[in-house]
Amino acid sequence: MHLPGTHTLVTALVSGVLLGGLLALTALGLSLVLGVMRLINLVHGELVILGAYLGYALLSGLGLDPLAGLLLVAPALALLAYPLQRILLLPLLGKGLQAPLLTTFGLSVIAQNLFVLVFHADTRSLSRSYATAPLGLAGLQVPAIYAISFAVALVVVGGVHLLVRRTGVGREIRAASEDPVAAAVLGVDVGRVYARTYALGTACAGVGGVLVGLAFSFTPTTGTAYLLTGFAVVVLGGLGSVLGTLIGGIGLGVIESVGGAFFGDGYRDFIGLVVFLGFLALRPQGVLGRAER
Amino acid sequence: MSRALLEVAGLTKRFGGVTAVDGLDLAVRSGETLGVIGPNGAGKSTLVSLVSGALRADAGRILLDGQEVTRLRAPARARLGIGRTHQVPRPFARMTVLENLLLGQIYGAAARTLRDARRESLGILDRTGLGDVADRLAGSLSLLRLKRLELARALALRPRLLLLDEIGAGLIESELPELIELIRSLRAEVEGILVIEHVVEVIQACSDRVAVLDWGRKLVEGTPGEVLHDPEVAAVYLGTSATGERTAAGSAGAAGAARTVSVLAAAAGDGRPERARAEPLLRLDGVAVSYGAIRALQDVTLEVRGGEIVTLLGANGAGKTTAARAVSGMVPLAAGEVRYRGERIDGWRPDQIAGRGVAHCMEGRHIFADLSVEENLELGGRAGTSRAERRDRLGAVYELFPVLAERRRVSGGLLSGGQQQMLAIGRALMAAPDFVIFDEISLGLAPVVVDRLYQALAAVNERGVAMLVIEQNVQRGLALADRAYVLEKGRVALAGAPAAIRDDPRLLALYVGEARGDLEDHPPASGGTHDWPA
Amino acid sequence: MSRAEPGALITSAVPARRAARATLAGALVAAGALLALAPSFTSDYVQQVSFRVLQYAALGQAWNLLAGYGGLVSLGSAAFIGIGAYTTAELTNHGLPLIPGMLVSGVFAAGFATIVSPALFRLRGLYFTIGTLALAEALRLFMVNYNGLGGNIGIFLKSAAPTTAGLYWLALGVAAAATGLVLLVLRTRLAISLRAVRDDEDAARQMGLVSFRTKLFAFTLAAFVMGVVGGLQAGKLSQIEPYGAFGLQWTVDVVTVALIGGLGTLGGPLVGAVFTVVLAELLNAYPSLHLAITGAIVIAVVRFAPEGLWGVLARGWARLAAAGPRTQRGARRVRQ
Repeated sequence: MHLPGTHTLVTALVSGVLLGGLLALTALGLSLVLGVMRLINLVHGELVILGAYLGYALLSGLGLDPLAGLLLVAPALALLAYPLQRILLLPLLGKGLQAPLLTTFGLSVIAQNLFVLVFHADTRSLSRSYATAPLGLAGLQVPAIYAISFAVALVVVGGVHLLVRRTGVGREIRAASEDPVAAAVLGVDVGRVYARTYALGTACAGVGGVLVGLAFSFTPTTGTAYLLTGFAVVVLGGLGSVLGTLIGGIGLGVIESVGGAFFGDGYRDFIGLVVFLGFLALRPQGVLGRAER
Repeated sequence: MSRALLEVAGLTKRFGGVTAVDGLDLAVRSGETLGVIGPNGAGKSTLVSLVSGALRADAGRILLDGQEVTRLRAPARARLGIGRTHQVPRPFARMTVLENLLLGQIYGAAARTLRDARRESLGILDRTGLGDVADRLAGSLSLLRLKRLELARALALRPRLLLLDEIGAGLIESELPELIELIRSLRAEVEGILVIEHVVEVIQACSDRVAVLDWGRKLVEGTPGEVLHDPEVAAVYLGTSATGERTAAGSAGAAGAARTVSVLAAAAGDGRPERARAEPLLRLDGVAVSYGAIRALQDVTLEVRGGEIVTLLGANGAGKTTAARAVSGMVPLAAGEVRYRGERIDGWRPDQIAGRGVAHCMEGRHIFADLSVEENLELGGRAGTSRAERRDRLGAVYELFPVLAERRRVSGGLLSGGQQQMLAIGRALMAAPDFVIFDEISLGLAPVVVDRLYQALAAVNERGVAMLVIEQNVQRGLALADRAYVLEKGRVALAGAPAAIRDDPRLLALYVGEARGDLEDHPPASGGTHDWPA
Repeated sequence: MSRAEPGALITSAVPARRAARATLAGALVAAGALLALAPSFTSDYVQQVSFRVLQYAALGQAWNLLAGYGGLVSLGSAAFIGIGAYTTAELTNHGLPLIPGMLVSGVFAAGFATIVSPALFRLRGLYFTIGTLALAEALRLFMVNYNGLGGNIGIFLKSAAPTTAGLYWLALGVAAAATGLVLLVLRTRLAISLRAVRDDEDAARQMGLVSFRTKLFAFTLAAFVMGVVGGLQAGKLSQIEPYGAFGLQWTVDVVTVALIGGLGTLGGPLVGAVFTVVLAELLNAYPSLHLAITGAIVIAVVRFAPEGLWGVLARGWARLAAAGPRTQRGARRVRQ
């Protein structure tokens, strides 16, 4: 462990905040699905990486810039997720908590290996010159992609927040998540709400994945790391709150960044996990969340 | 003078805004069986959970034979000799009957080795009539056997104090003598028994003394005979008749309500006087519902005609809420059919049934705490209606319940009980239904508030909305109704015009219990409606 | 049995069932002897494959105890396996023979489990599962970065690895011991307590059971077995590094073995291990395809056959045993 200089520290702070936006985005889908359907979506990490791979395929196959490709990746993933939920997961409602967990576990295994089969185990990234170009922010240098993903994250998180809080669809989602039986009696098709939520969560994950691909490299197994950071974000920021996910993401980003500055870059993820475990043990409802059962 | 085996002093337990047990003082003497009765929500089951350690008290003390156990956790209390049965049996379903008992043998008051435990457990099973199913999986037993298993399991603890939580619930007439016999035989091996019951035969036959709880406090205590004939107790169960009458049109509130309700009812139909229609709007035919091994409804036939108010009465556990759930699709039927406007709706999803014009104002309100008042209401609005219509309906509900308008942006969870009930009613009305089920809207509310609610109900009905009103307060329920049914243990016991039912001598018996002889002479109606003179 | 009446059908079933049990016992003894003597007549390759099967069988038994009987779905198996591997590597490098090293590794792993239990068992259900996953991953990341134990490179083992046959016998011993341990546990009060906690934890506490202690026992026992298997793995390899020792693949494999084999059964892990490893060998050339198929099988098992392969086999056996007399005597003549 070494004490970093002020400049390093401030840079770490700023990039931590910006990266935190990306972390929040990749965690949003997990948070939604967990909060609304009480489903631990173990395949979530792979859905993020699927976004990255799709972005990669669009770039290498069609020469489409990943940021433009976002507009294709999001609906594509949503279209994939909707039937996935209805066919595989919906029938498991009421068969206990283990069955959906183990099913998503199986999906995760399948997904990782499909990635290897189709894209091979090589490390990949979406290299775009504008992504790595340093951006001068008040005298600090951060890669432009950090700022870009922060902006995208704000837009998406904000959009989802508005959707959930201000629209009729969002009302149904909130009602179904709080009391599915009462919602059904009031005329809400809860099964459809769940499928839509799952699709939305997957789309968000995919968008995050494209940005991950732009900012970092990825392999077929990178998904697990994003599953865990996703949980860390959810636990930090509080379950059931979209804005909480943003706060949790930024918080985790800062902790990881600053921790990395102190202990070395390799320890970033480790520190994040330790904080996650700490919160899990001491305050599972997170900073903003309401106390769950 | 025997010391109290169990003493409870100033016991208090709150759940959010509701005080389930309120400074309760109670004692079970050594060698006695104490029966505890009381209406729904009186705090009886909470009492059992507090004494057994499943819940922690907010205030007060619990003493077992003089030793304070208030701060002890459930396993420790079990080891000291407090055993309990659960209202809804909770067996270890994937273990055999014998294995279910072993736990109590091993960890209970008299810890034994596994071999001794098996031997003793078999003995207990024989005594409780479960000897022949010792090796069967517990999850496969019938209800009566599950109840015996609950008992056997508690006995395996070698308890000093036995807490029986509604052990008679859900059993049919013929099964009761066996159960009573069993409980009485326990007096020899257990120091004291606390029996929570709704089934009055069990209380009468088994208790030395009886305590009546109401609103979390002890109302009256005495011998079974004294208590069951006490007029105050009758009032607690049947409710007062003071404010149950339908309001005169002169009341300003009612007039205003009638005016605005026209908006709500307009969409409900073409305005044709529904009362004249012969075919029933809603009809249940031979409906049966089971919760696992418990038969909650059996052969229930009833109907609601267009525009009328039908009240459903009955003691706790009689099946009223289950009937409501059967109609709105929340529970599947084990037998029979439910028809709405002639169409079979049993087996449909609840949201599909709601789409047909059936609204259900559920017991316990089920307000979405996270959503604001207005969001709760908007959720009730039926899909496919225009924005303008929905705005009109919203305005109508606000006129009906002005206090909701004042609090339109407040979170549902922050409203008082009465306001939540208004919100629940308004939410049900937002769909402009033709038919609404109101399940226990008076529960936990002050009479003045309930008056207001019933005014609103009457006004809504004036415009042709049919209703099925489930009500614990008999007098209120009968005052509002065009027709009424009384359920008992899942079957229709009485049916007909309110006046006739009110004067029927069997009514009190169905709630508080008298000599069964009365019922033998006048067998209850087997279900089905009678054409009583209007 | 020559009387052709319906009554005879019933009475003749009993000796047939007894015969079936005797056959099973005899088969087990024969199998045991065969397994012990295997290295003398099988190739190195078969022994290596069997090694893996036996490893997984042991791991599966441990995980099954936790998840199948106890309802505690842990995704942290890799943590204990890794601890076992590293501990054995260090100990053997300091002169301790392999077998004691493996046992000590088991104890270390169990110790770690004990330390994390109080915090971990505060979490119920799904949160517990996530907690175990996070724990295992955190440990792996720590080991990658902590240079005191070799960091990314890991530890090189100085002592020579046992022969293929030696490794096989070690694995056989570990698997047999693990199975025996679970068998033993199933006869004690721990089994009853575990299953009660799984079925209804609150009702169990009402019966005097301190559920934390029960969960702790099961967790440490499972951790011990996994630590020993990790030590076994270290004995086989010449180098131990974080990705292999603490890798998520262990966790995935353990879960699939136990699930496909059948949760909550004694024979499940054995059958599951055979199935999983054989499938892996058959699809040797297509490792990713094999894993993808395994994932699909897991999903199918969860949905359609929760009792797993063992359950399916057991049902088939039961039907066979009951049908015994009929097929022997020709049902058509006997039935009225």
